[in-house]
Amino acid sequence: MDVKDIFSYDWSYLLPEFIILGFATLLSLIDLFMGKRANRAVLGWLALLGVVLAGGFVISNMQELDEPISYMADMLRVDDFGNAFKLLFLGGVAFTLLLSLSYLKSGEVRHQGEYYYLLLTGLLGAMVMASSADLLTLFVGLELLSLSSYVLVGLRKKVLASNEASFKYVVSGGIATAFTLFGMSYIYGLTGTTNLYEITQRLSEAYASGFGFLVLLAFACLVVGLGFKISTVPNHMWAPDVYQGAPTPVTAFLTTVSKAAGFALVFRLLLVAFIGLFNPDQVSGGGRVFLEELSVYLSIVAALSMIIGNTMALRQTNVKRMMAYSGIAQAGYLLVPFVTLTSLFFEQVMFYLFAYLLMGFGAFAVIMVVTREQQTEDLKAFAGLYHRSPFAAVAMSIFLLSLAGIPVTAGFFGKFYIFWSAIWHENYWLSAIMIATSVVSYYYYFGIIRQMYMRPGSTEARLVFPTGAAAVVAVTAGLTVLFGIVPGAAIDYIHANFNSGFDFGSMLTPGR
Amino acid sequence: MIFDVSLPLYLLIALILFCVGLYGALTKRNAIVVLLSIELMLNAVNINLVAFAKYGLYASLTGQVFTLFTMTVAAAEVAVGIAILISLYRNRDTVNVDEMDTMKR
Repeated sequence: MDVKDIFSYDWSYLLPEFIILGFATLLSLIDLFMGKRANRAVLGWLALLGVVLAGGFVISNMQELDEPISYMADMLRVDDFGNAFKLLFLGGVAFTLLLSLSYLKSGEVRHQGEYYYLLLTGLLGAMVMASSADLLTLFVGLELLSLSSYVLVGLRKKVLASNEASFKYVVSGGIATAFTLFGMSYIYGLTGTTNLYEITQRLSEAYASGFGFLVLLAFACLVVGLGFKISTVPNHMWAPDVYQGAPTPVTAFLTTVSKAAGFALVFRLLLVAFIGLFNPDQVSGGGRVFLEELSVYLSIVAALSMIIGNTMALRQTNVKRMMAYSGIAQAGYLLVPFVTLTSLFFEQVMFYLFAYLLMGFGAFAVIMVVTREQQTEDLKAFAGLYHRSPFAAVAMSIFLLSLAGIPVTAGFFGKFYIFWSAIWHENYWLSAIMIATSVVSYYYYFGIIRQMYMRPGSTEARLVFPTGAAAVVAVTAGLTVLFGIVPGAAIDYIHANFNSGFDFGSMLTPGR
Repeated sequence: MIFDVSLPLYLLIALILFCVGLYGALTKRNAIVVLLSIELMLNAVNINLVAFAKYGLYASLTGQVFTLFTMTVAAAEVAVGIAILISLYRNRDTVNVDEMDTMKR
C-alpha cells in the first residue's frame, strides 16, 4: 500500500458529502445565532437546497467517472454502486424535509434547528456507508446514521411515547452495534486488514487453513448485527415501538433511507467480503461457500421476516405499527435477491428500493396528515377518507396496492423481479413463502382501503393537505403508477448508468 | 515472561465478557445497568481487536486504531443514551425498563 499525499487526491468527486457536511455545520451555526422566536422553516428550505445541490453533483459524478475512484486505500470510494444509493438517500431525505416542513408547524418538536441538521448528519452517515470499502469508515458511517436517528426519534421531548421509543432504539441499536463489531473483530483477526477487497482474498485463505468456524461465527454475528438496520428477524423487535413513537416524517426516513443504507452495508459486508470463500474439501473444483451454505442462513432470515412481519401486521390496529411490521416483511422480500444471486441482482435491489421509497413516503405522507387531523393513529382514522378527500384516498390506495404487490404499480414489478430470480434458482420453498405471505398481506392492506371507502367517518369536513405533503403524495403516486406501467425504463436506466462493477455472472454455479 | 498468555485465552475472555454483557442487557431492570452491559459488550470487542493486533494471523497496528474508533463511538452512544434516559425520567419518574410499556403490543 503506497502512501499518497493527502493533497494529491482529487477531492472534487467527494463534493456531495462535503456539501451535506457543510450545510449541516452551517445550519447548526445559523440555528445558534437565530433569535429564539424566529421561524425555523428557513432552515428546512436551506437543508433542502443542500440536498438538491448534492444530488446535482452526484449526477455529474456519474457522468464524468468511468472508473471508480478510491481515496486512502478505499477508505472512501466513489463508484456506481455508491452513487446509485446516494441518489436514493438524497431523494428520500428531500421527501422527508418536505414532509417535515408541514409537520413541524404544529410545534410538537421544540428543537427544529436540531431536527434539520441531525437529518443531514444522518444522511451523511448513510452516504458514507454506501461509498466505502473499509470496515473502519463503514462502521463510523453506520454509527453516524444511528446516533442521528436515535436523537431524531426522541425529539418530541415532552411526549412519553417518543422518549420510550428512542430509549428502546438506543438499547437495541447498542446491542446490534456490539454484534456487528464483534463480527468485524473476528474478520479483522483472520485477515489483519480492514480493507474489504483484501479481506475477500485473505478470508478464503483463512477458511481453507482451518479457521472455518471463526469465519462462520463472524458471519453469524454480522447477520444479527446488520439485521438491526434493515429490521429483519433476529433484530426486528424495536421497529414497531420506534415507528409508533417517532415523529411521522422520521418514521418515513427510518423505513426507507435508513433501511436502504442497511442494505448497502449488507451488500458490502456480507456479499463482497464472503463471496470469495471456496470450500477446499470439494473435489469438483470447489464450491462457493456463500452460495452453498451461508445463503441458506440468509434465506431462513428472509423467510422468517416475511412470515413474522406479515402475520403480526394482521393484528395491529395502530397504523404506524402496522407499517412497521409491513416494513419487516418488505425487508424479508429484499433479502431474497441476496440469496438467489443472478446477474440482474443490482437492478432488482435498486428497483425494489426505489419503488419502496416511493410507496413508503407516499403512504407515510397520507398517514401523517390523516392521523394528525384525527388526533389518533388508529386505523379508524381513515374511515370515510374518500368522501373527505378523494385525492388522498386514491393516492393511498395506489401506495397500498403497490406495497401489496398488485399489478400496474411499481411495487408489483419490484416483487416480480425478485420472485423471478428465486424461481430461476429453483428455490421453490422461498418463492412459495413469498407468494403465501404476500397473499396474507393483502388482508391488512385492504383493511385500510375498506376503511377509506366503505366505512362512514366521524366527520364529512374536507381534509386540507399542507403543500409539502401534497407535493410528496402527488409525485410519489405519479411515479408509482408510471413505473408500474413502464418498469423497463427504470431497469434500463439503472443498467445503462450504473455498472455495479461486480461481475455476478461468473459467480453463478455452472449449468444454471 | 513468566506467564505466556496465548491468543485463545484472550478470545475466550472476550467471548465471556460479551456473553455477560448480552445477558445483562437482556435481563436487567435498571436502564443504567442495561447501558453498562452494552459497554461490556463493546469492550469485549476491544479486547478481541487488541489481541488480534498482536497475535492475529496477520498482526498489524490497524486493530489498535480500530479500538480507538470503537471507544469514541461507544462514548458517544452512551452519552446519547443517558440524555434520552434523562428526558424519559422527567416524563415518567422511572428508570426501570419493565415499566417502559406504554405502547401497546
